[in-house]
Amino acid sequence: MSMAELRTSTDAWDELLDHEGNPRAASVELVQQLHTLGLSELQQRQDLAELDIVGMGITFTVYSDGRGIDRAWPFDVIPRVIAASEWREVERGLVQRLRAVNMFIDDVYHEQRIIHDGVFPADLLAHSVNFRAECVGVTPKFGVWAHISGSDLVRDADGTMYVLEDNLRVPSGVSYVLENRAISKRAFADVFQKQSILPVDAYTDELNRMLSSLAPDGVDEPTIAVLTPGIYNSAYFEHSFLAQRIGAALVEGVDLVVGDDECVYMRTIDGLERVHVIYRRVDDLFIDPEVFREDSTLGVPGLMRAWRAGNVAIANAPGAGVADDKVVYAWVPDMIRYYLGEEPLLPNVPTYRCVYPDELQYVIDHIEELVVKPANESGGYGLLIGNRATRSELDAAIAQIEADPRNWVAQPILALSTAPTLCDGAIEPRHVDLRPFILSGATSYVSAGGLTRVALRRGSLVVNSSQGGGSKDTWIVEA
Amino acid sequence: MLLSRVAENLYWGARYLERAEDTARLVRSFTELILDLPRGVASSWEPLLAVAGSREQFDAGHLRAGENEIVRFLVADLANRGSVVASVAQARENLRTTREVLPREAWQAVNDLFLFTSRDTESGVDRRSRARFLGRVMSECQRLDGVVAGMMRRDEAYELWRLGQVMERADMTTRVLGVRAASLLAATGDRHEFDEVQWMGVLRSLTALQMYQRSHRGPIDGASVVSFLLYDATFPRSVAGCVQQMRASLQRLPHADATLPAVDELDGLLSGLPAQATDGRALDLAMDQVQLALDALHGCVHDAFMRGVL
Repeated sequence: MSMAELRTSTDAWDELLDHEGNPRAASVELVQQLHTLGLSELQQRQDLAELDIVGMGITFTVYSDGRGIDRAWPFDVIPRVIAASEWREVERGLVQRLRAVNMFIDDVYHEQRIIHDGVFPADLLAHSVNFRAECVGVTPKFGVWAHISGSDLVRDADGTMYVLEDNLRVPSGVSYVLENRAISKRAFADVFQKQSILPVDAYTDELNRMLSSLAPDGVDEPTIAVLTPGIYNSAYFEHSFLAQRIGAALVEGVDLVVGDDECVYMRTIDGLERVHVIYRRVDDLFIDPEVFREDSTLGVPGLMRAWRAGNVAIANAPGAGVADDKVVYAWVPDMIRYYLGEEPLLPNVPTYRCVYPDELQYVIDHIEELVVKPANESGGYGLLIGNRATRSELDAAIAQIEADPRNWVAQPILALSTAPTLCDGAIEPRHVDLRPFILSGATSYVSAGGLTRVALRRGSLVVNSSQGGGSKDTWIVEA
Repeated sequence: MLLSRVAENLYWGARYLERAEDTARLVRSFTELILDLPRGVASSWEPLLAVAGSREQFDAGHLRAGENEIVRFLVADLANRGSVVASVAQARENLRTTREVLPREAWQAVNDLFLFTSRDTESGVDRRSRARFLGRVMSECQRLDGVVAGMMRRDEAYELWRLGQVMERADMTTRVLGVRAASLLAATGDRHEFDEVQWMGVLRSLTALQMYQRSHRGPIDGASVVSFLLYDATFPRSVAGCVQQMRASLQRLPHADATLPAVDELDGLLSGLPAQATDGRALDLAMDQVQLALDALHGCVHDAFMRGVL
């Protein structure tokens, strides 16, 4: 199998190979191993990995015909490699970014200095669907609101790594980072022995430590619960996985009750037991029917009262999503300069904000060259890629944008980087992105690498597992 | 700490797995028994439906009660909630929500079993592959039991698991006694040529033959088989053995004062039965009573642990 051939088919940056088809410094051992194995042995290892995934019950759930179907997690055995020296820079950039974002959220729910100082437009906040008036004046511990975030990173043709979006509400995928590693260690044991690949296992311990630190003052050994929407949620596997790893109770809304003392309790076989920290994987609008959606059966009546009274910590804090919005995203570099007095270490993708008439006009005129995104959809829904859409799809998108410009942004179509991927018995380049996980409490922690998602269809840029994307293990290699 | 909801899922997960194992064993032992009997002695497969307690449901959906129809219904029919494949599927659904309290290998074992039964379902019906399929179901269930026994803390989750398991097991033993043993006793006015083979079949359906033979001198006789399956508490599938485990588990769980009286009730019933049951009709009636007492205990367990009282 010739890796060099892979380079002729695409202009994108490849994560393993340079433009001549030679391995990049950090990928030398891996590429060597791929050559040694040959295609049929590699395919065998892929098959074994898939058997492991089915056997270990590593699944995600997709919705079809109104019911959830458990699917085996799609995994490509060829890892994606990043040099440790580059990764350290990315880590610093992410920590910087999340510090600023958390200061922004805290500011927004208190004095709103950033608006008074004219850095952030007031009417954006006024129209934000993720701003929660119920959170105004609350001060979570350490002033941190987004405790767990999963920023999506992409690399353009020149190799620059950009932040594509900040997922601050209930980002998922970290369990697959850990599972992918367990599987890839089996498939490439020899390579792991030959070089230093940063382990990923520490994440759950760091998560446990961070969550414990959020407990109300005076509680030494807090009881932590992971709040899940339940078995039919697409990320249920992960909720269960994380609860196991951090020794927390996995609870659904029906398992919790808020007492007259405004404390949160679990219903156990031995009666009620106090909960101090909730790692919630339920969206804001569903966590408390007293305050938000009345029809929610996923939440706990009174939870917001208990949180406001300081009797329970909620991670991520309600309202943290105000900064997780594809429009607010465009201001993150300004937040970094405003709150930290620093230049951003990791760039944003250039973003046109349709709320401004001149930028809106540019978007309408150049829509074929742009990706347009609604502010508040996730999972790749509602996204339109200009050069792949028909004229009528483009016109429909323009009409939607003009009707509600505040809700739309547009970005140039990046030539997402690729990585060699095993597809139907051949190795082909496929587009990838990267979702590292950042923990913020009294201190910050960034996962070693993150979840590399891969668009398995040739030429596709959509990496979401709900839409046919797969995943790879991500190696941070000391080269 | 154990959530009430998780407690319920564990208890039912254990029940469904035990049901899968017991039904697999029942069908396999009956298949072997029928092969040993000459045509005309007992070639009907209908007693299987009676033991499984699903005669009415079967009759509602089937015209013919032949081997193929009955075995398919008991092994491979997802619409029959008591079938092997449906029990495994329900066990998996229940245990999916208990993954953080069970050892990880337990979930993998359930998952393996589920994948196997849903993929190879047809081989459980075909006579040539049936024994192998059912044997695999039983050994996978035992693997799971081994994982739980060998890896799990003796905490509340463990006790609820055991409780669910022995509740279901006692249910099966009493049904075998009430249907199979009772009809054999009733028919033995004059000793029948194939009695021994039939009683061996009863024991095999509860994997009790070898242990019975170790505990009993002389040839197989009906009265001592019944006595063994009812009273020998050292045998884990006897009714007394199951009740003993129920008591042990409930003593280690909260609310023992609310649940143990129902176990006393069961014990009282058992000790009120004659030591040597020889009357088939009386045995059948007695087993009905034991089943009612098991239902009552189930109700107490549900009220004590699963209602999530405020």
